[in-house]
Amino acid sequence: MVGEKVIELQDYVKMVAEQSEQRVGVKMEGVTESVKIEEIPVKMDSEKMEEIQTKTALLPIPEVKLEDVKESEEMKEIMLASKTEEVKQKLEVTMAVVKEGETIVEIQVKTEEVVDVKKEGDKVVEEQMLEVNKEEQQTEAPPKDEIQPVKSGKESLLDLLGAMKVEVTNKRKFKALKVQRTSETAARPMPAAMESTTSMFQEATGMADVPAPAPSETLSPELVAAVSAAAATLPSQSQAESELLKKLRQHEAIGEAQKNGDVNNIGVIIADMKVGKKPNGRQNARPANQIRFDEDGRGYTHDRGITAELDGGLRRRRSLFSGKRLNIFTPSTEPEADTDIAVPTLWDMELANQVALSTNQMPRNGFEEMIQWTKEGRLWQYPINNEAGLEAEAQVPFHEHVFLEKHLEEGFPRQGPVRHFMELVVSGLAKNPYYTIQQKREHIAWFRDYFQQKEEVLKEAEVYLN
Amino acid sequence: IPKKKTWYDPTAPHYMFQDDPYLTPRTSAEFKLYSLSQESGRMAANHIVNKNPKFFQKDFAEPHIPCLMPETMELCIEEVSEAALLERIMLRKVKAAVDMYDQLLQAGTTVSPDASNDLLDLICLYGDRDPVQDDKPEAEDVVGYYLCGLYLENNNAERIFNLLPERDTRAYSALIRGMVKYGAHVKAFNTYTDMLNNRLTADVHTFNALISAAPEVRERYTEKWDLIVDLLNQMNEQKVKPNLLTFNALLKALRRCGSLARAQSLHTLSEMKAMGIAPSLASFDHVLGIFYKAASPSQGQTDILQEVMTEVAGRTFVAQDPDDVNFFSSAMRICLDTKDIEAAYKVHDLLRVGENWRMLGDSFQQSIYYGRMFNLLCMMEHIDVVLKWYKELIPSLYYPNPQGMRDLLQALDTDNRLDMIPQIWKDIRRMGHDNKSDLVDELLSLMARDKHSPEIQESFAVCALDVKSLYEQGQGARMALEWTATAMTNITSVLLAAQKKQQAWDMLKLFKTKNRVPSEELMEEFLASIKSSNDPQHAMELVQISASFCLPSTPKLAERVLQAFELSEEQKYDYCLGLLELGTTDVNSTPSEGSHPLHLLRPLTP
Repeated sequence: MVGEKVIELQDYVKMVAEQSEQRVGVKMEGVTESVKIEEIPVKMDSEKMEEIQTKTALLPIPEVKLEDVKESEEMKEIMLASKTEEVKQKLEVTMAVVKEGETIVEIQVKTEEVVDVKKEGDKVVEEQMLEVNKEEQQTEAPPKDEIQPVKSGKESLLDLLGAMKVEVTNKRKFKALKVQRTSETAARPMPAAMESTTSMFQEATGMADVPAPAPSETLSPELVAAVSAAAATLPSQSQAESELLKKLRQHEAIGEAQKNGDVNNIGVIIADMKVGKKPNGRQNARPANQIRFDEDGRGYTHDRGITAELDGGLRRRRSLFSGKRLNIFTPSTEPEADTDIAVPTLWDMELANQVALSTNQMPRNGFEEMIQWTKEGRLWQYPINNEAGLEAEAQVPFHEHVFLEKHLEEGFPRQGPVRHFMELVVSGLAKNPYYTIQQKREHIAWFRDYFQQKEEVLKEAEVYLN
Repeated sequence: IPKKKTWYDPTAPHYMFQDDPYLTPRTSAEFKLYSLSQESGRMAANHIVNKNPKFFQKDFAEPHIPCLMPETMELCIEEVSEAALLERIMLRKVKAAVDMYDQLLQAGTTVSPDASNDLLDLICLYGDRDPVQDDKPEAEDVVGYYLCGLYLENNNAERIFNLLPERDTRAYSALIRGMVKYGAHVKAFNTYTDMLNNRLTADVHTFNALISAAPEVRERYTEKWDLIVDLLNQMNEQKVKPNLLTFNALLKALRRCGSLARAQSLHTLSEMKAMGIAPSLASFDHVLGIFYKAASPSQGQTDILQEVMTEVAGRTFVAQDPDDVNFFSSAMRICLDTKDIEAAYKVHDLLRVGENWRMLGDSFQQSIYYGRMFNLLCMMEHIDVVLKWYKELIPSLYYPNPQGMRDLLQALDTDNRLDMIPQIWKDIRRMGHDNKSDLVDELLSLMARDKHSPEIQESFAVCALDVKSLYEQGQGARMALEWTATAMTNITSVLLAAQKKQQAWDMLKLFKTKNRVPSEELMEEFLASIKSSNDPQHAMELVQISASFCLPSTPKLAERVLQAFELSEEQKYDYCLGLLELGTTDVNSTPSEGSHPLHLLRPLTP
């Protein structure tokens, strides 16, 4: 019962996450993985936490809470037991990874071992937190767990996590970061740890503002380097590396498609996502409200396509199909090649047209008509996206639009009335949501030309000071 | 959770009509007019926009909505270049594209293989003629279609094909498909041989076209089938995977292969299953067509329809083949031919699954389907069930033809529900079938045939008077009904049965003015009616009218009047004189003894 509710809630949260993701899409582009993950919570904390909390408040949470309480008590015990030399050693290993990979793909890279370490490391922090404010920890736990899917709602992360057979919640990840910091400063007290997380958020947002490289089909070299560094920690290095890179590319492709208005992919991925529990004893002690992935490492199953469905439909033995066949063709089991995705020829278009004309396409009610209009692009797509039609601009980070002073560096005087005028122009342009970045640049360039042409006049008037 | 809403209200007009009772179609003609009106309005607007793009450049929408902007229908690129060629191909300007290609060749420019293949596709698809524009009137479209049905010798397709520096599979495919499309079947096979000689392999579309052309190039059934099997084997050898359209073409070709088609069609279905290709509705339609030939007397394989229906039951189909839309109407035809109401219900249930209603096709096919279904219902079902379907189908989905209404009348007759007739008559009037004289005659004769309770007779009389008024006013522009003797007789007898003597009397007089002759039975009915009200004056008048029509039964009638009514001597004398005056000529011409009016007076004069 609770589990169902939780799954529902997670779906909802994911939905919210996707929307928010679209909203922050501009910044996400090209930024390295970990930054993206961190970035959402930053937004999330202010915008979505309320929603999530109200949502959780509606649920029959008490049981969950009780579990959490028990669990945290258990954790304390485990933690006490696990404070060993070995743990600390492995924490150092984590640190090494982090250093090599520039903290970028740190979470994706955790092997089971390392995660275990972190789990135990979590407990270190958790214990502190519990000591400081056990009550708060208990009440906070459910919403925090709800945030987890929000943060990992990015399908990229899901893919990665699913592929890596690693269970990582962001909570734990943050804890891991805390542990790293605490290991640096030899177990700082709790407030300091909190501070470090907030500073991490700041870092993350700071990184997000870094100009993103233009999106391309290939991944950025930094990311590739990070991935290979991460893969180095795994037993089968080359395989893991290629797997990671494949996943990242996949994600980029999906992200691109999504920016171009193709939101179906996410729906497909979510629909195919499997939510289940691991039967592992120790892991069962964890809160049930987490997304788990299949054991087969795929994370989700691909759509098997129409042929799979067909097999089921035709498997029933009917006398219509039970007779012997022509025995001319040999059915091949190999998947269909991509030849059918070639550019449609005139013949194909003509056939499609004929089929469409032969069937009855008249809408039967207002809804069907609106569906038709939506397909034709006359109506807004749902969910409403206020950046619809701005696909080209989606690649441009916002600071390109807002901070235009750098365009005044060349060709304008450093001070004086012209400079003052241009600053006003730039400030106006910064607030203009209708121009593309190219138009804004052209606008400034026009003034540059204009003032250069009028240089003589301005000099006579003693205003063109340089 | 809101319950699933069924978007079907049998009393409501279709959504495509204007939400105005005046513009709700009541007849099939109105249906056609109104259903096309919205679409043609849209097309007219589009035509204006596309013809005058300069007036429609203002783009209000943010983000931009391409389908609201004028389409460029005119050629923009004037110079001789490959871009211009591609533009002409895109705008489907066949002649202009061919000219451009020739100019390019003359200028010595090489055209890229893709562009020349596109051009070849265009020419073959449209049979070397400019396609008929959508905005032209329909009549020209028909003419254009028939003109396109002929394959021209030495046309541009072959000329350009021969000009191609290297002919690949695609070029051959386009040429063969074009030849098959425009009826040059033998030529298509020759081209295919040519292609094989050049060591090229065909693609699946080529084979589809050739299979559909196979029955045209062979005479005997076995030869046709052998050719098809040969093609399929070559497909397999060339590692070409068949698709749904291959098998549909195969089944369609089998329809013309006579007796061996039955077994082979089932084998084909098994082959489809083995290949993992789900049959579409067109495949099943072809199978049904093979097993239920319209002309064949033997209905041995009736269970094929059942098997097909079990196979497709509850499944949602998407149109994949232009022939898919024939399934429902032909399945219903088979149900009607075999009088299988259960199968008909199954077919109709399938129609209601998901989006399957789209597969019913255009309004013409819809009316055929529902007409057959309604015919079958009237034939096989109890009248209550028929009326239930009638209520569900008639106002919104189906506009029956006169034959359909006659079927309904017969069903009413079979189950003794003639009391429904006045109601049905209202529907007939609404549907505009009130000017079909055979339908009206049938309705009237059914009303006049039997005796009913007074209430029903009363309603019949009202209905009959309505019919009469229809004859008289002639309904403006529409053709007025021509009075027939039976119609008049029936109306009169209905009126008599409802004790509407005055109106019946008016009708009797109308016979005279319209030069129609009432039947003897009607005279008897009149007499019975007069007897019951004991009105000797009218009785004598009746005899006089009968005499004026020179009915052979007049003397008998007169005799019965004399016997039935207690007339005074004076009355009798006047009566006989009146008869004599009326029938002088007839009296001479009919010299038989008993029939002369004077003989009637014999017992009176001592």
